[in-house]
Amino acid sequence: MIAAAFRHRRASSLDDALEALADPDAKALAGGQSLLPVLKLRVVRPSLIVDIGRLDLGGVRREGDEVRIGALTTWEELIRAPDLQQAPLAAITECAVEVGDLQVRNRGTLGGSLAHADPASDVPAVVLALGARLVVHSASGERTVDASEFFQGPFTTVLGQGELITEVVFSVAPGAGSAYVKVEHPASGFALAGAAALVRPDGEESVAVTGIGAHAFLLPADREPQEGLSDAEIYGDRFAPEEYRRHLAGVVVERALERARARVEDRR
Amino acid sequence: MVTGATRYAADGHVHGLLHGRLVLSTEAHALIRRVDRDQALAMPGVVAVLIAKDLPTAGPGSDRTTEPLARTEVVFAGQPVGLVVAESEAAAADAVELVEVEYESLPAVIDVEDAMLPGRALARVAEEGEGGGDLESIHAEADKGQDDGGEEQLSGNVLDTVKRSSGDAAALLEASDAVVSGTFRTPWIHQAYIEPQVATAWLEPNDNLVVSTSTQGSFVTQRELARAFGLPLERIRVVAEPLGGAFGGKFALMEPLAAGAALALKRPVRVALTRAEDFQATNPASAQVSHLRIGARKDGTLTAITARMIVDRGSNAGWGVEGITSLLVGGPYRWEAHDLRGYGVQTNRFTFGAYRGPGAPTAAFAVETLLDELAEALEIDPVELRLRNAVVEGDVGVSGNAFPRMGAVQVLERLRAHPLWERRDSLPAGEGIGIAAGYWPGGMEPAAAVCRVNQDGTMTVITSAVDMSGVNTGFATIVAEAFGLSPDQVRVVSADTATGPYSGASGGSKVTYTVGKAVLRAAEAAREKLLAAASEELEIAPADLEVVDGVVRAVGAPDRSVTVAEISAKALRFGGRYEPIEGHGGSAQTRGAPSVAAHLAHVRVDSETGEIELLGHVIAQDVGRALNPALVEGQMRGGATQGIGWALFEELVHDERGQLLTGSFMDYAIPVAERVPDIDTLIVEVPAPDGPFGAKGIGEAPVIAAAPAIANAAAAATGIRLRELPMTAPRVWAALREGRSA
Repeated sequence: MIAAAFRHRRASSLDDALEALADPDAKALAGGQSLLPVLKLRVVRPSLIVDIGRLDLGGVRREGDEVRIGALTTWEELIRAPDLQQAPLAAITECAVEVGDLQVRNRGTLGGSLAHADPASDVPAVVLALGARLVVHSASGERTVDASEFFQGPFTTVLGQGELITEVVFSVAPGAGSAYVKVEHPASGFALAGAAALVRPDGEESVAVTGIGAHAFLLPADREPQEGLSDAEIYGDRFAPEEYRRHLAGVVVERALERARARVEDRR
Repeated sequence: MVTGATRYAADGHVHGLLHGRLVLSTEAHALIRRVDRDQALAMPGVVAVLIAKDLPTAGPGSDRTTEPLARTEVVFAGQPVGLVVAESEAAAADAVELVEVEYESLPAVIDVEDAMLPGRALARVAEEGEGGGDLESIHAEADKGQDDGGEEQLSGNVLDTVKRSSGDAAALLEASDAVVSGTFRTPWIHQAYIEPQVATAWLEPNDNLVVSTSTQGSFVTQRELARAFGLPLERIRVVAEPLGGAFGGKFALMEPLAAGAALALKRPVRVALTRAEDFQATNPASAQVSHLRIGARKDGTLTAITARMIVDRGSNAGWGVEGITSLLVGGPYRWEAHDLRGYGVQTNRFTFGAYRGPGAPTAAFAVETLLDELAEALEIDPVELRLRNAVVEGDVGVSGNAFPRMGAVQVLERLRAHPLWERRDSLPAGEGIGIAAGYWPGGMEPAAAVCRVNQDGTMTVITSAVDMSGVNTGFATIVAEAFGLSPDQVRVVSADTATGPYSGASGGSKVTYTVGKAVLRAAEAAREKLLAAASEELEIAPADLEVVDGVVRAVGAPDRSVTVAEISAKALRFGGRYEPIEGHGGSAQTRGAPSVAAHLAHVRVDSETGEIELLGHVIAQDVGRALNPALVEGQMRGGATQGIGWALFEELVHDERGQLLTGSFMDYAIPVAERVPDIDTLIVEVPAPDGPFGAKGIGEAPVIAAAPAIANAAAAATGIRLRELPMTAPRVWAALREGRSA
């Protein structure tokens, strides 16, 4: 597994990175936990790797009733962040613990995973269920994208060439509880089905599922979760046929909701 | 001690080294019409693009030794068709993509049972060459049963039929009080050694061929290379480098290709597989379909066993495990009659290879599951049923030979007394405990060794055995004990085919038993020389001397002594008066030393997801004598872990066109540390009469019965019998839903 030849350029600043990334043959390198394998397998062959790993885009900050997480924050940093140890945001740390293995968690980043948008990755379900907003920068400015509009298909998001996620913003719903539950593929560790749930004290619930279709998606708010699943387009493969995956999605949705509801109760 | 200082086969520096990268077939079955190499050759750094006719192979043949690159017909997707040789690995990798091969597709034979039926398309259409050479004798167990006599109508894809029978098994089953049967499926499994295959070959100035390689056996590789290229043995030197795992997969597979390239180009060539190439182009273990039927009387006495074991050989025409698997399906038990058939069937998949206990885990999965079902039907405890029928020394097995002394009864009794087994009926819902046993016959091959005392009184032990399972530490223990040193005064070195005393390949659970015996005799011979010299020095008869911690002293008068170092210094110098204190020893056992291992598994089954979680695991194994308990336990844990891999994780999958779908560790699950519970190891010692200090080969027995123990535990937890491995969550869920045996 030997990558095809590429140039490597370490970005000196965010602006420098954005300028370099305007090149259609360039790809950004953050933690490398998704990019390096596909480079080595020659699935992608960018001629330029723009290394953003040392930019100052990390950290978890509480600002009022929002928590802002820098795109380069690693999974291990999320697990340990004091501002995330609260029931409304429990899904974030619960998801982080499930990602890959310790080595992956020490290098892989929140922004990298979201931009890569593997349909079986975990955190897309969490940003959807928690209604997060993604701050995106380009050479021509910045914009904010709702998670619900971000994912378009397998490995496909609304990010254009030359755009980088810089921050992910979560609103903290007071008194709420959230959770993330997944059943993983025994080899890849990716989700055969994963569900993130947010339950508010007034009973309003928001559930998102990952690993079963073209991309992570929110279950319709106006229907029972199991109903919403039965209409969804679900992929199957040799390991996990469609029937099993549909059933499994129902199980993880139930378990995530149960756990999130219990977290609401605990706070009462 | 982990130092990071070991140099493995891909680490060695060779001046002028070129790098080979494989061009692999993209078709499972096809004729090669044309290979266009021009674009690849034009790439900077590329020295050659070799195809079959460029290699100086000696003659016809269709195994990986005589046909390292496909000649006219490819028989599996991933088969090496060409070798790009370049000045760097990257240049070679780039050029591989530019080699264009034109194939004429042929029907791909994928379903192994269908392939047996008369009139079916053949997996190989070109004429076959000779068989598997030396490898056949290593892997095929000696007794292949009686000739089938051709009574069945089978296609040309059935390369071998083995039949062994005694008594009237069918009638006896009819008359049995309980009969159970089933069909069991096990998948292709990759050995998943951590070091991918690598071989480096070059010519010395006198045109002798040297091959430095990651291999289980230097002498067998030397013989295979001689066969491949028609060279005399003395022109070939094979150096076995420290091994990063093999488990049966590294028997002369890549060396013929590296050697062929070096011979053709007259420059050093290294073929070091990437993990992706190793998944595609090496020799994983066969899939198997086993149809089994067993019976017993009301009191639990086993009556008869009938079996049809269908082994998917892939494209390996040279040898198969149909013989050994149809032998081992009898387990360590007494049967009054048996009718066992094994079929080796070719398909368009990898050339299969050996994997830790070849043919045994598949057989054990079948018979140990059915034994549990019998126990249920007869309302007899599963351990009691096994104990009632477990063989003791002298019992005749399905091979027709008597079993030597071995610990079948002892390991079962150890498990019966284990607290985990005692809790089996008082577990929470969804949990279950299962038991299973298996044995490995153990191998035998003559071996020789040298013990050499150094000037400083330390000892160097020289063998050609590859240290695959920690055997070198065992040798040091044997020598220290036999000669009279402490183990830290003994060093073990591995020699090569040019310099070393003979040793067979490491594998088959025989190194400790055979090479260990040779090492023991070499130590004893060296000790005789030592005592002869010391006797002269001290003027005491050798019979009145003892050797303790490097000191030769009079028995009962320890102050009259001389050190081994002092004696050796008097020998190893100009004008010295004693022969060098060295001993040579050999062994050629003719009685095998089988090892039995039994497992307990404790599982919890999540009935909503189908996931089987391992809560605990115990293995009891008869090791003869634990020369080094830590290493023995390591073998037991490692084997049990690979058995857990069989049970729950591992499966190489092909699609209907013979394309490999699971070609990386992202798709092929292995039992990594975080998924395996603590494994409790119980060492049972039933000394092997012909082993060094009673020790025997133990590497393979521990993998064999882990999977059925887990399957039996899952059955105890859910009431459902699973008959296909691995027991993945989707399969378990489907079986639970249908409330049936899977």
